[in-house]
Amino acid sequence: MRFLKLKRAAVGALALAVVLPAAACGGSSGPSGGGDDKTLTLWHMEQPPNRVAAFQKVIDAYNATNPEYKVQAQVQDWNQIYTKISSAVQSKTQPDILFTIPDFTTYVRPLGAVRPVTALVDELDKEHTFGDAAKAAYRDDNEYWAVPLYGMVQMLWYRKDLFAKAGITDAPKTWSELLADAQKLTSGSQKGIAVPAGKNLATDQVIYSLMLTGGAGNFFTGGGEVAFDKPQTVAALSLYADLLKQSPSDAGNYSWGEPQAAFNSGAVAMAIEKGQYLAPFEKESGRPASDLGCAPIPQADTGGEPGSIYYSNAAMVLSGDDVRAKGAEDFLRFVLKPENYGPFLNAEPGLFLPLTEDGAKAPSWTDNEVIKKYQGCVDAMLEQSKTGGLFGFVDGQYVDSIGKISGQNILAQVVQRVYSSGESPAAAVKWGDQQMREAVAR
Amino acid sequence: MRAALNRLPRLATMAVLTVVVLGPLYWITVSAFKDREEILRSTPTLIPQHPTLDNFRELFTATDYPTYLTNSFIVALLTALFTMMVSFAAAYGLYRLRIPGADKVAGLILVAYMIPGTLLLVPLYQVFATLELVDTRNALVIVNVAFTAPFCTWLLRGFFFAIPRDLDEAAAVDGAGPVRMMLRIILPLLAPGLSTVGVYAFVFSWTEFVFASQLVVSDDLKTLPIGLSAIMGQYTVNWGLLMAGTLCTIVPAIVPFLFAGRYFVGGLTAGAVK
Repeated sequence: MRFLKLKRAAVGALALAVVLPAAACGGSSGPSGGGDDKTLTLWHMEQPPNRVAAFQKVIDAYNATNPEYKVQAQVQDWNQIYTKISSAVQSKTQPDILFTIPDFTTYVRPLGAVRPVTALVDELDKEHTFGDAAKAAYRDDNEYWAVPLYGMVQMLWYRKDLFAKAGITDAPKTWSELLADAQKLTSGSQKGIAVPAGKNLATDQVIYSLMLTGGAGNFFTGGGEVAFDKPQTVAALSLYADLLKQSPSDAGNYSWGEPQAAFNSGAVAMAIEKGQYLAPFEKESGRPASDLGCAPIPQADTGGEPGSIYYSNAAMVLSGDDVRAKGAEDFLRFVLKPENYGPFLNAEPGLFLPLTEDGAKAPSWTDNEVIKKYQGCVDAMLEQSKTGGLFGFVDGQYVDSIGKISGQNILAQVVQRVYSSGESPAAAVKWGDQQMREAVAR
Repeated sequence: MRAALNRLPRLATMAVLTVVVLGPLYWITVSAFKDREEILRSTPTLIPQHPTLDNFRELFTATDYPTYLTNSFIVALLTALFTMMVSFAAAYGLYRLRIPGADKVAGLILVAYMIPGTLLLVPLYQVFATLELVDTRNALVIVNVAFTAPFCTWLLRGFFFAIPRDLDEAAAVDGAGPVRMMLRIILPLLAPGLSTVGVYAFVFSWTEFVFASQLVVSDDLKTLPIGLSAIMGQYTVNWGLLMAGTLCTIVPAIVPFLFAGRYFVGGLTAGAVK
């Protein structure tokens, strides 16, 4: 009897062993990087469900025009994309279109699969007029290496209701005003500002915005050597350290989500971030839209200049042959047409900013409810974009090795040395300078 | 009175430990039933004031979570099944049959287990690409079994040693060969050990992130750890959605422990003392 049971169990296990792999195979799609004969693969890293759905709608609209090559999107993770694209290129399964940011482009180009898109960018520029900052970061060796698609810029966000309670009437314009306001707004369980100090890109970006407004945005010499250790950098880091004292005590673990959560909950009154603060504000804070204030990043009291971290996201073409590359370019042309550009940008309204003149005026973008509701802040972001910059790409630079610095989050590590280890800003900057030199030399 | 006082430190320690272990789980659970404003409220609520299923509704309708769940189940079940088969057969050969050099082979298997998986990422990707296995669930099953089988083979060692060799000899006298002995004598007695192995392999696969993130590129083949990471996203976090997703991901990993947890703990202990 027991043997029969055992036999049944063994037969069941064998059946499972046969059936389940078949189920596993059923979902297999084979190597996808290169797509099939008439399908172009697009990799983007905009993972939240709302962005995936919005991008898919644009892709569906393109595919509905019956192009020779249809487009299929595959969503990737920014944290994994460096290894993944390297493996994919080596095994010749790379996508036809890969979304990018400037420093990621410097990483992918040496892999050897990126095609120049100079003719296409020039053509689109004539038709739609790109802002200079949108294109510059993708130009090197007299070629454009990616087609700019959408911009992002940081602002100072503040809670008008909390400012009013503290008796503050205007947003701070200088570093000293920013610090004074943060101190005034820190009371009881409420903190004046939330700035991140985790070892991540969020910290890199916030400290860099302050470096820009303090005149330390360019930390390379004309010859491309690291020149991070200078008084302006130390001053920006000193301010950051002071702001961290007015931040929640867990700021050492902050990335993007935590400051926004603290801001919307009313636990902090200010934050420095991009336009993702617009859309969820009312729902998450329970306050009216009019309570959300925005202002340019405050400038250093002496020698300050307008600025903020700003970069355009773009698309590289990695197709293995010319015909597929032409198909990829046709899709990018379609996206930048004003009637399609709005739905594309409104995948995250307020965060994704237009890069073309006609896109900024297109009703398909401006008619969005969030854009209309926060028109003042959206206009301020577009204005701030004009003075924005990104490390390694300011003043017409194209620093090939910037990916090695941003990939290691050296700016964030410098912040951490001051915040967690109690090092002086001058010593931390000196350490950062050394680390950057070593990273570039490797 | 004195007895009660003596028990106080133990009870206090247990209470603290319970809060530390179950506190985050409780927080995830209640947060999953709160709306976006209540989750972020600076004065947190222990019990949802306005309980809502919106997060779960959005999770299952506006995201690909059901697809991730299905994929994780298929990959985890297959991983558990093949790990049990491979490690049982390997352990039987190594620890039960008198094969010359078995000890050395067993040692080598454990050495293979010690190689950091991340070192194998790029070469494995290239091998799978050559075999056209990239972007398939099969690739994940193969990798998972490759990582679980060595440890599980070693895990079964204690269970094998707990079964008297007299049984083998008695079966041999009755005319049973090695395969029949393995299936009819040893296998039934090894059920607790195999449950342990199955649970370990299931949970390993359920939580595996690194290889799943590299070997799968299509959205319709992604597993839960990758899917949850996608829900987190960059720049913004929908905390309610994340909590609901986390809760639905934890539950299937806990359920096997409810049924096989006793064997699992017993199995680790048996392996330790033999």
